[in-house]
Amino acid sequence: MCPPPNGRATNGASGTGSRSDPADADADPLVALDGVTKTYDLGGTVTALDDVSVSLPAGSYTAVMGPSGSGKSTLLNLVGGLDTADRGTVRVGGEDLGRISERRRAATRGTEIGFVFQTFNLMPRLTAVENVALPLVFDGWPRADRLDRARTVLDDVGLSERYDHTPAELSGGQRQRVAIARALAPEPSLLLADEPTGNVDTDTGASIMGLLADIHDRGNTIMLVSHARRIADHAERIVHVRDGRIERIEAVDRSGEGGDGPA
Amino acid sequence: MDPREALRIAARSIRAHRLRSGLTVVGMVIGIASVIAFATFGASVQAAVIGDIGDTNANNVFVTPASVDDESPGGEELAATRPVFTDIDVDRLRELPGVEAVIPQGLVGLSSVTYGNQTVAQQRATATVSETFTDADTIDGRGFETGTREAVLNEAAARSFERNVTVGSTLQLTLASGETRNVTVVGIVSGTRGGFLSGFGDDAPRIFLPVDPFYTTVVESPSVGADVRVYPQLTVVAAPDAVPSVEAEAEAYLTGESDAAQLLAEGVEIRVQTSEDIVGAIQDVISQITRFVTGIAVISLVVAAIGIANITLVSVTERTKEIGIMKAVGATNRDTMQLFLTESVLLGTAGAVLGVPVGLAVAWGATRFAEVGFTPAVEWMAFAVVVGVGVGIVAGLYPAWRASKVDPIDALRYE
Repeated sequence: MCPPPNGRATNGASGTGSRSDPADADADPLVALDGVTKTYDLGGTVTALDDVSVSLPAGSYTAVMGPSGSGKSTLLNLVGGLDTADRGTVRVGGEDLGRISERRRAATRGTEIGFVFQTFNLMPRLTAVENVALPLVFDGWPRADRLDRARTVLDDVGLSERYDHTPAELSGGQRQRVAIARALAPEPSLLLADEPTGNVDTDTGASIMGLLADIHDRGNTIMLVSHARRIADHAERIVHVRDGRIERIEAVDRSGEGGDGPA
Repeated sequence: MDPREALRIAARSIRAHRLRSGLTVVGMVIGIASVIAFATFGASVQAAVIGDIGDTNANNVFVTPASVDDESPGGEELAATRPVFTDIDVDRLRELPGVEAVIPQGLVGLSSVTYGNQTVAQQRATATVSETFTDADTIDGRGFETGTREAVLNEAAARSFERNVTVGSTLQLTLASGETRNVTVVGIVSGTRGGFLSGFGDDAPRIFLPVDPFYTTVVESPSVGADVRVYPQLTVVAAPDAVPSVEAEAEAYLTGESDAAQLLAEGVEIRVQTSEDIVGAIQDVISQITRFVTGIAVISLVVAAIGIANITLVSVTERTKEIGIMKAVGATNRDTMQLFLTESVLLGTAGAVLGVPVGLAVAWGATRFAEVGFTPAVEWMAFAVVVGVGVGIVAGLYPAWRASKVDPIDALRYE
């Protein structure tokens, strides 16, 4: 329970990253934020992120935790290339998201990054297969190829029976699985999950977290945003964010849990 | 993105809002259809009029006096014109190369015509020569012979009595002077050559009489000094390929040493026109009217365009979240724009494609009603389709641009 101090590396397999650990720069992390500041003008200037530096090694599973308004969603949006920083650099896979064109950034979102949202954000009129194939549409895959790929990924998340159902015909847990399948369809190097269990019941949430753990075990890099300790505990380490700053980075000790969370 | 994919997605979202899309398309159909209907009806009327005039009068050169500042095709009305063309002029024109016939026309004032027991009022008969009749226009009988008391009637005149006038019937004409003359009807015609627009709108009853002996308007010819007949109007029939030269020569003669030139009143000139000139003038008038009415129809197209723009804007607002999702999974601003443009172009094209047959159907109905032949205005159909697609693009441009500018973060938060 007692978190280690900021930046201490405790999990050898996944490594760590923080602004206080220059050794990680050599490890060529998948995601590297350096001195990132983001402000919003909401009647007054609100600083959502204030000089944040953190990096995620490839293959790591990181949770970003903090109360609402702490800047954790902003962090996710910046890493996901949905937004750009006011100052500092955000690199994903070596690409500086703030400096590339809107088109290039969109392409990166489509192929390098997979999003999983709290509210699923599926296209209501598309079937499960079509939703999963959507990123591949914008990546220019031929129709037959992308539908094949979508079915394969849906099989992987356990939805082989639900190919042609629209989101309205699926349960919350099934919708989130479709959303995860969509995120995985282009084989991204980074999976971003924003409160993925926020809109499902506890049991379903547990199985979603199990699925994410499987995905991580297959070698994917995951960045998870949550305000709940119970969820964040599934990660290898937890980045605590408060008032736009990284409060501390905590390595999760899993030795006492007997597994990667509930199956 | 692949245009086929954009088409598929756009078609799906149009189908998802059937009523709304349907109403937009209806607006477009009305716009396109009214343009097509008016243009086609105008073209049909024009073709019918030109056909009427062209048939019998193709090689005619019309010669009339007209006041110098009168710009209307054809000049003044026959009755109001002081006759200036003498028999001497007629004979000399006839000798010009390329001239097949010269047909003078004058008016014989009447008060009434009696057939059997029935008397109808008839103000005038046309005095002319036998060359005015053609075989093609003669329905029954033959043309009259000069120097006889024979008459030829058009169909309207033959029908103007309770008992139809036929070849061989005898009519009693009461002249304006009060004298009466009996004439024998020798022919019924559907039209004549010579005489202004004699083939066009020939629904008024007309009676044709030989100038000899019925036409008695004479003047002292300046060139020969004797009294000769004088006519208000001549028609020079040219050989088929000699129309331009005949027109030029007739004009040269008439404005030179002719009797007509010397008899002309102050402020009046001789106007020489081919049927083509007149057809052209009528064509101008009809196409101006057609363009004006079609222009009004274009307003409904503009309204339809605004409808498309409105619907696409609503669609953008309503689908803000979808736009956010698409952007999150890799859609560029350009992809987003393409999707919404495709949608509005689809609506515009659907409107055009449906509007063309509807417009043609309306125009066909109108031509039936107006009893003219149906002439589809092909270039206007092409215009309608181009306009439909164009309206789709223009109307969709701003909404699509708005869609492309949607901030994905805001959009994903949007409910």
